[in-house]
Amino acid sequence: MSRAHVDFLLNEEKISIKDLDTNITVLNYLRNNHELTGTKEGCASGDCGACTAVVGELKENKISYKSINTCITFLYSLHGKQLITVEHIQKNKLHPVQQSMIDSDGSQCGFCTPGIIMSMYNMYKNKIKPTEENIDKFLSGNLCRCTGYLPIKNAIKNMYSYKSNKFSKSKVIRLLKSIKKTDIVIKKNDSKFFIHYNLNSLIKDYQKISNGHLLVGGTDLALEVTKKRKDLKNIFYLGSNKDLNYVKNKNNNLHIGSATPINDILPILENIYPTFAKMFERYGSEQIRNTASLGGNIGSASPIGDSLPVLIALNSKIVIQGKVKKTLLLDNYFLSYRKTKLKHNEIIKEIIIPIYKKNILKCYKISKRIDDDISSVFMAINARIEKNIIKEIKIVCGGLAETPKIAKKAQKFLLNKIFNEENINEAKKIIKKEFDPIDDMRASKNYRTKISQNLLERFLYENNKIKSTLY
Amino acid sequence: MDKIFTKNIEHESAVKHVTGKAIYTDDISEPKNLLHAVIGYSNCSKGVIKKIDYKDVLSSEGVVDIITEKDIEGINDVGPIFKGDKIFTSKNIEYYGQPIFAVIAKTNNLAKKAALKVKIDLKISKPIVSIEEALKKKSFVLKPKHLTRGNIKYGFKKSNNILKGKLYSGGQDHFYLEGQIAMTIPQEDNNFLVYSSTQHPSETQQIIGKVLKQNYNSIHVIVRRIGGGFGGKETQSFLFAAITSIAAKKLSKPVKLRVDRDDDMIMTGKRHDFLFDYEVGFNNSGEILALKIMMASRCGISPDLSGAINDRAIYHIDNAYFLPNIEINSYRCKTNTVSNTAFRGFGGPQGMFCIENIIENIAQKLNREASEIRKINFYKDKIKNTTHYGMRITDNVIEDIFNKLIKKSNYKKRRAEINNFNKKNKVLKKGIAITPVKFGISFTTTHLNQGGALVHIYTDGSIHLNHGGIEMGQGLMTKLALVASNEFGLYYENIKISSTDTEKVPNTSASAASATTDINGAAIVNAINNIKSGLNEFIYDYFKTNSKIKYENNFVYFDKRKISFKELINTAYLNRIPLSSSGFYKTDKINVNTKTLQGRPFLYFTYGAAVTEVIIDKLTGENKILQVDIIHDVGNSINKRIDKGQIEGGYIQGLGWLTTEEVSWKSNGVLATHSPSTYKIPTAGETPFKFNVEIYDHGFNKEKVINRSKAVGEPPFMLAISSFIALKDAVYNANKGKNSENLIAPATAENILKSLH
Ligand SMILES: Cc1cc2nc3c(=O)[nH]c(=O)nc-3n(C[C@H](O)[C@H](O)[C@H](O)COP(=O)(O)OP(=O)(O)OC[C@H]3O[C@@H](n4cnc5c(N)ncnc54)[C@H](O)[C@@H]3O)c2cc1C
Ligand code: FES
Ligand code: FES
Repeated sequence: MSRAHVDFLLNEEKISIKDLDTNITVLNYLRNNHELTGTKEGCASGDCGACTAVVGELKENKISYKSINTCITFLYSLHGKQLITVEHIQKNKLHPVQQSMIDSDGSQCGFCTPGIIMSMYNMYKNKIKPTEENIDKFLSGNLCRCTGYLPIKNAIKNMYSYKSNKFSKSKVIRLLKSIKKTDIVIKKNDSKFFIHYNLNSLIKDYQKISNGHLLVGGTDLALEVTKKRKDLKNIFYLGSNKDLNYVKNKNNNLHIGSATPINDILPILENIYPTFAKMFERYGSEQIRNTASLGGNIGSASPIGDSLPVLIALNSKIVIQGKVKKTLLLDNYFLSYRKTKLKHNEIIKEIIIPIYKKNILKCYKISKRIDDDISSVFMAINARIEKNIIKEIKIVCGGLAETPKIAKKAQKFLLNKIFNEENINEAKKIIKKEFDPIDDMRASKNYRTKISQNLLERFLYENNKIKSTLY
Repeated sequence: MDKIFTKNIEHESAVKHVTGKAIYTDDISEPKNLLHAVIGYSNCSKGVIKKIDYKDVLSSEGVVDIITEKDIEGINDVGPIFKGDKIFTSKNIEYYGQPIFAVIAKTNNLAKKAALKVKIDLKISKPIVSIEEALKKKSFVLKPKHLTRGNIKYGFKKSNNILKGKLYSGGQDHFYLEGQIAMTIPQEDNNFLVYSSTQHPSETQQIIGKVLKQNYNSIHVIVRRIGGGFGGKETQSFLFAAITSIAAKKLSKPVKLRVDRDDDMIMTGKRHDFLFDYEVGFNNSGEILALKIMMASRCGISPDLSGAINDRAIYHIDNAYFLPNIEINSYRCKTNTVSNTAFRGFGGPQGMFCIENIIENIAQKLNREASEIRKINFYKDKIKNTTHYGMRITDNVIEDIFNKLIKKSNYKKRRAEINNFNKKNKVLKKGIAITPVKFGISFTTTHLNQGGALVHIYTDGSIHLNHGGIEMGQGLMTKLALVASNEFGLYYENIKISSTDTEKVPNTSASAASATTDINGAAIVNAINNIKSGLNEFIYDYFKTNSKIKYENNFVYFDKRKISFKELINTAYLNRIPLSSSGFYKTDKINVNTKTLQGRPFLYFTYGAAVTEVIIDKLTGENKILQVDIIHDVGNSINKRIDKGQIEGGYIQGLGWLTTEEVSWKSNGVLATHSPSTYKIPTAGETPFKFNVEIYDHGFNKEKVINRSKAVGEPPFMLAISSFIALKDAVYNANKGKNSENLIAPATAENILKSLH
């Protein structure tokens, strides 16, 4: 029997909710229901970070922390977690991240500051080394229009030199443990919010409802509510489902549960496909990577989903679970613009990525801004080159067609050819004709085409150890 | 007035910022019965409304009412100097995002949902969107202006070289982190209390007065702080405060309007983009002898502040260079787009962008080191020291700053290293540039150069400080509290910084033109002097002395005596000495002929220079800022920590304007970039770790400005022009010495790739 309320800790206070709108975001809840107005709204679309808070979750008796965008997080997804807001981190004295921020003059108008403080707190709690690379990575989801970031970067560099007050976490741990993790369904008017802890119960409930929305990070789905102002009637939250949250290396294949946050995939991926993992560093922002999932990226079926070309290039498969279970090649999954083979009442259960030990994998993301931007063009190349002969090659592009698409002709031409300038030049001519991209605010048609050609050239240069990338 | 402020304290609200306790308009405790407004706007750029059906809007959940043009008792216009900014239209649609109605509902979300349900029957017609179209059709919001000096024909005749070309600099969304917001609360007697995120409370008050057809004295506007403005809340905030006030009056309930980010970007004006057509004549050493410029900007649908903005572009076409023979023709184009408005630099950056590109093109043409060409053209001390608008420059320090920076940044060595790098690298190419900034301080509209203050001393000796300026992150309140603490000889902690309030200081000017500290600081000093002269009289009289009186360290010294400030105040109070005064200041010396633009529009100039080094990827146009070195003049700083922040922040905001921020209009006049997911301001990754900012150590304001400091809000923005010129240099290097003059701003990866051969 499912329970009908959601319990979580707001800072250190246990809260039980059940009568609120199923579409309410954490941000609106904090500001409207608790007058906790330190957390700000700057965009309500996950782009600015003014709404950043930190979520603590119990993992093996320890609390693990991550930053989130509260503006696109549904309140009910907090079940069993601790939400830490900017008002809470100051105990008897300012927290080191706060004091360091003041001493470095990291705030001007101050509107971005609470969000940035929480991103810093996230770094601090996870003991992230304040290297230049890490600082940029962990700040990528926080916009500041005033300071130019330099003082904030300095504040991060210095924050570990301040002493923090030690506080016992036993109370929080005890409270978190007291929250039962069993299936939940919240009913409010004609809307429902489901939380399942295992696959079977999820599938069972999901079969019964015709207009259900699967929710993981909500980094795509929540914008339907915050921007398009839709009412999502039945939400199925997969983020806590243990049958969908895992990364396993089995028989030379990587099995990834569809609801696993990207940041949980990276530690394993880094060792297997470093370029793929590196690409994810430019995927959204830290806050986005903390919650967004591969299932969500595939589920939204956008032609510019960054993981899709890479997954296709690696001949990945997906496991679809409905009444029955089936496995298909990801490349066969997309039908047309945002249309896929997924039927309603089916979900993506896992993604299976083959591990090629002898291949080169390239993941080229081109966007207007380096961090936290959507690709204008993406190219993934999976190739095996032996004695300078291209023995195997798969080239997959995003942003050039209405779905992620294989450059079939170009790759066919290159197969078994010598990997040299002459052949790449020929392939450039071929790929130019292979796609007919669109003009939009991210890039023009001409630019997209030219980039698809030039990235082939980059591939050659990189192979010849000629420096040809900035990032 | 020339005392040194040694206390480099942090921003007055820093602790509140980092703890989330700083209160912005949306954080103010909401009054009971608060209603929320959301604006319904046009989704095409030109047309006529044939029919509007509000049925579904009104029946939508939580809706209380809608308001339209019919509900406006006074004028339907929030235009600042000129009219033309309608609150609501009921018939003609003139731009995408034009307000038609507002829904008033129980929550913001319900109001927005309802607004989306309107059914509008439209007859769409063809808009004018681009500057080129407007020029062709002679569509202008204001008359063109012309400025000439010298003899342009003669100048060209003397020139061995002539270059012609076109330049373009893009628009820019302000992207203040706190979006537009206003809340109006009805008071007794039909008075209204208005909280607004605005840079201009006085004009907010006046406009609401006119819209509601009430005396200004019935409208009370309060602003404690705003979450960024940058010019975007100088006039653009009026619309929202007007609407909450109309609704509050109609419904006799408090009404708040917090604008959704996308709606904000759609409904509010941006930086003017500019098109330049130039012809320049110069001799073989690169000295400019003749310059003819056509400049045209996209003003959008109404004049707003476009007149003064385009004037300032004309005034900054010289940057730091002497232009003996010049002809400028400036066109203020009317387009079917939202009315463009003030943005940090106010036309100055666009003017400077033009001349810096021209100089770079001259250097490329002559194949000479560009920094040399810049130096050759600098204004000089005794000769060549008068601007094209007839103002003599008497405070020029650009040469000194420039030379120091070349040395400090190792410019010459790095230039050689870059050449070396470029030889060795096939795909990646580097570039470097140094550019100067000379920026004029004062409102070019003379009457705005006035400010007021009100200072109270309470009987315990604590000070309450009021003035007309707005705290928007620039550290104004901190600086002004320092000024007051210095004047009273009191510790900074004794000065209470309060909200800016139209009931305390009336008829103020916008916090803009970088002059807010100058003007309000002087008004505060004036107020304090009034109080102090009364106190001094009292001391002479009461303590029977005629010695000098000194206020220092919370004490007052005279003869060989020392009494605490608190004691003095208490005694003064008991002896019925006034402990409160208003203060006033107007900037002397400035005046201009608005027709010929000749005269002295500025009290003084600020100077600075920046070196930027960049790298580009020839295959994709991707690019990266590698290092920035800056020396910037802030006069004798009131607070170096705050000034440094303005310099760094200004540079990065300018960098965004010139690199990643692309305002993209579709040909039908619809704005394509209206959210942070498509409009990209710099993130931390754009800021290089090698970012060296130095405050010019000889800084001193020749004019009697408070502490002999200089304005710092806008000028550093233009230091970022060095980033664009460095990218241009990198493209030039990649093109192996063939020019890079067709690079346009913003230099996105795409635009860079386009300019590569
Ligand atoms: C600020 C920001 C930056 C972003 N940057 C990037 C970027 O750089 N690259 C990029 O590719 N994307 C980016 N995105 C888009 C988005 O983050 C990704 O698509 C993300 O992977 C979605 O994952 P999620 O878990 O948040 O999905 P959700 O929003 O929870 O779901 C997305 C969609 O997929 C469906 N879905 C979720 N799980 C499943 C499942 N198991 N089976 C079937 N359908 C499912 C949902 O019903 C929904 O329709 C960005 C988004 C934001 C807000
Ligand atoms: S409000 Fe901008 S990311 Fe949440
Ligand atoms: S301090 Fe103003 S946005 Fe960061």
